[in-house]
Amino acid sequence: MPILRIQDVTKVYEGKVTHRALNQLSLEVMQGEFLAVMGPSGSGKTTLLNLISTIDKPTSGEIILNDVKPSKLNKQELALFRRRELGFVFQDFNLLPMLTVEENIILPLTLDGKPVSLMEERVAKLAKILDLTSFLHKKPSEISGGQAQRTAIARALIHEPTVILADEPTGNLDSNNSREVLELLSSINKERNATIVMVTHDPIAASFCDRVLFIKDGEFFNEIYRDERRQTFFQRILNVLSLLGGGNVGDLSSIRLP
Amino acid sequence: MTFHQFAYRNVIRNARIYAAFFLASLFSVFVFFIYSMLMFHPSIEDGFLGNVSIVGMIVAEITLVLFSWFFIFYSMKAFLEARSKEFAILLHLGMEKKQLSKLIFLETFLIGTVSIVVGILFGFAFSRFFFMIVREILMLEELPFYFSWEPFLLTITVYLSAFILISILSVYFTPERNLLDYFKGYSKLYSQEFYSFQKAIIGVIFILTGYVLAILTSRVTLYSFGILIVILITMGTYLFFSHTTLFLLDRVRSRKSIYWKRNRMLSVAEQSLIMKSNSKMFFVVTIVSTLAFLCVGLLAALSSYTSQYDKMNPLGLIYKGHTDNPYENLHINALIRELEEQGLSYHMARFEVKKQTSSFTQYEVEVFRESDINNLLFSYGYPLVRLDSGESMFIPYSEESINELSQRTVETVLIENNVEVIIDKVYPKLIFPSSIISLNSIIISDEDFMLLKNPYFGYPEVEPGYHLFTFDIPQWFETTDVGLGIYYRVSKEYLKEEYNLPFYFENAGLSYSFILSTYSLFTLVGILVAAVFLLAAGSFIYFRLHTSLEFEKKKFDVLKRMGLTDLELKKIVNAHLMPQFFLPWGVALLHSLFAFVALQNLLKHIANISIVKELILAFGFLVIIQIIYFYLIRWRYITHVRD
Repeated sequence: MPILRIQDVTKVYEGKVTHRALNQLSLEVMQGEFLAVMGPSGSGKTTLLNLISTIDKPTSGEIILNDVKPSKLNKQELALFRRRELGFVFQDFNLLPMLTVEENIILPLTLDGKPVSLMEERVAKLAKILDLTSFLHKKPSEISGGQAQRTAIARALIHEPTVILADEPTGNLDSNNSREVLELLSSINKERNATIVMVTHDPIAASFCDRVLFIKDGEFFNEIYRDERRQTFFQRILNVLSLLGGGNVGDLSSIRLP
Repeated sequence: MTFHQFAYRNVIRNARIYAAFFLASLFSVFVFFIYSMLMFHPSIEDGFLGNVSIVGMIVAEITLVLFSWFFIFYSMKAFLEARSKEFAILLHLGMEKKQLSKLIFLETFLIGTVSIVVGILFGFAFSRFFFMIVREILMLEELPFYFSWEPFLLTITVYLSAFILISILSVYFTPERNLLDYFKGYSKLYSQEFYSFQKAIIGVIFILTGYVLAILTSRVTLYSFGILIVILITMGTYLFFSHTTLFLLDRVRSRKSIYWKRNRMLSVAEQSLIMKSNSKMFFVVTIVSTLAFLCVGLLAALSSYTSQYDKMNPLGLIYKGHTDNPYENLHINALIRELEEQGLSYHMARFEVKKQTSSFTQYEVEVFRESDINNLLFSYGYPLVRLDSGESMFIPYSEESINELSQRTVETVLIENNVEVIIDKVYPKLIFPSSIISLNSIIISDEDFMLLKNPYFGYPEVEPGYHLFTFDIPQWFETTDVGLGIYYRVSKEYLKEEYNLPFYFENAGLSYSFILSTYSLFTLVGILVAAVFLLAAGSFIYFRLHTSLEFEKKKFDVLKRMGLTDLELKKIVNAHLMPQFFLPWGVALLHSLFAFVALQNLLKHIANISIVKELILAFGFLVIIQIIYFYLIRWRYITHVRD
């Protein structure tokens, strides 16, 4: 059952230079799927994520998330929708520096006015899974990048959202921390059956997913599914990327012409 | 593009960022210049400000200078902080630290020069208007416009040196940072807030002790308490902002049921950060606002005093002497002669006042004769008094006492001479100023007065009564030169521990001219200084907000993604801005409130006037201004963080 449906979405940025960021893009994300969206810079990945985040509206087309059409909601309802249905993980963590790790994690619940007992219970559980217990009372400036991203993931999970949106979650991490965070995301995806949409540049990060969707110049380019071994999946991702990078994709290769 | 051109274009093309700094500098130059114009006015040597020395003005001028220096320094720092990203790019491109200093110096110099020139131009244009206002306030014949190089030179010297020195100092004293820190820009340490429990408590204790002392202040303890209060309040305020606020916020944070509630968590956490990194600024704003409030409040109080002066001092000259005063004839003749020389019309009344003991209170009572009083009332044009034998009337000592005494009926016997009187009326108007007569003064009929043959029990140790000479002079404010000799003897005697002269003299016109000149000085100093202070206090907050705007934008961006409704955003902004705006002001208001409680106590002793109404008006006005300012900034702030 698709939990997120994107149908013929087009996004045009008006301005001095009109720019078509997305062009008639359609895709579906299943419940419990871990999807990576890849594409070169300027391909419309971030635009797509913003549209799903409902902080931006498509010029045409429809987005349906968990049987709700966000375009039909007013501003107030949209905010509440984001607060309850979506979780976010950002490239530069975006933890609030004045709150402690614990307070950062429970922020979505406090904003929603949930009881303290519920918050404490969930923090304790998540902190155990994500190995955050020992520095719950530290400030974000006192912890490492990997710990910060784990905190951000905990914040994205605490309200048990329908979809988790991740924007280059490993972009600011070293390889060890990256692997740790990705394994975490993939285990959350499996154990909690959480739906994750991740935008990334990194083929290694993408190789942790169930499916990789490639877009180029705002249009669907290709998609590949995971197979048994991550190694071969990674190799196939690289192959598509090299096709993506080539300037004359879709054109006939000069060797084949007589 | 040369280096100078680069600096120039930096300023011109970033006009909007520089505008706040520029305007604040401009305004202080403007005020300073206008003020110097007055200080160097050629007729000031003729003493147009009455007898108040020029010292007061110089003190005010120095306060202004010191304050504007501090102000420019603070603005500079906030300004440099806000632009640290820009500097990072320049440094990254290979600019030397020396060149950066030169750039900042050139920019500051440019803004400084322009603001000095424009400020002086505005000041010069407005000084004619300003002189006109001063002339009206001081009731001067004329205050001609003049042109002289001194005010120009003074203003240019003071501010140019300020800009040059401060731009060098602020670059020099910025701690050495590496490029990455510059790129991060608004990078404050977000570590745990540090406070000391003891200091938090001491701060509150200091402030409270100061308040209690202010309430207890009387004329005797004015100096010792005054200094102590200032020290206590200043230190207490500092500790309050650097420790007590953090302590209180930490209390809140330790209670999850209060703290983890909707947007409160964010606001409280934010406040502890703001308090921690801005405690010094809040302290300065509080002290500065307290000074401004005191200026405004004093003005209001003085204006109430001067406007009530006429009513409280219906008599031009008053001469009071012992019954055996050897100078009586000499002095009265001299006064009459001087009045006639000056061509002032007057009506003299002579009173023989006897002290008696009242059987009702067992205290002394001062007895006036009906015909004496009528003599004066006639010249006032007030209704005359008609008393039969055995009847009596209170003489009111203040406006409020009229109501109070009218409800009182006293049957008493003047013990020394066994004269029975019933006091059941009060004269409905103030006849004498309150400093002249005692609180227990009555009028009795001529028949009864004749019976008072035996002197007061205390005689001869205590004076059995006194002679009072009153001069009702319609043009009473022109009597400043009458009886100067007597006046000096009286005022000299007043400085001694005991008052031993057999006479006392009061010249309403002369006192009024003193009060008026003090009042006008306070008006001039007060309005200008208060204006600069209030503007500066507002600008501090503005600069602070400006510095952290980038960071705030990012914060709200995260929050909006996480699903912050518009209402919640407004709530958070309110909770973010309100303490910064109203906490220093509130504390300052409270400080000045207690200062005025002390002042009111003092004034009660000296003259019976109330300054409550004027103070409420003045402070109400200030609060309204602050609320308008708050909404203005809030509006700008919300539009900034919303998109």
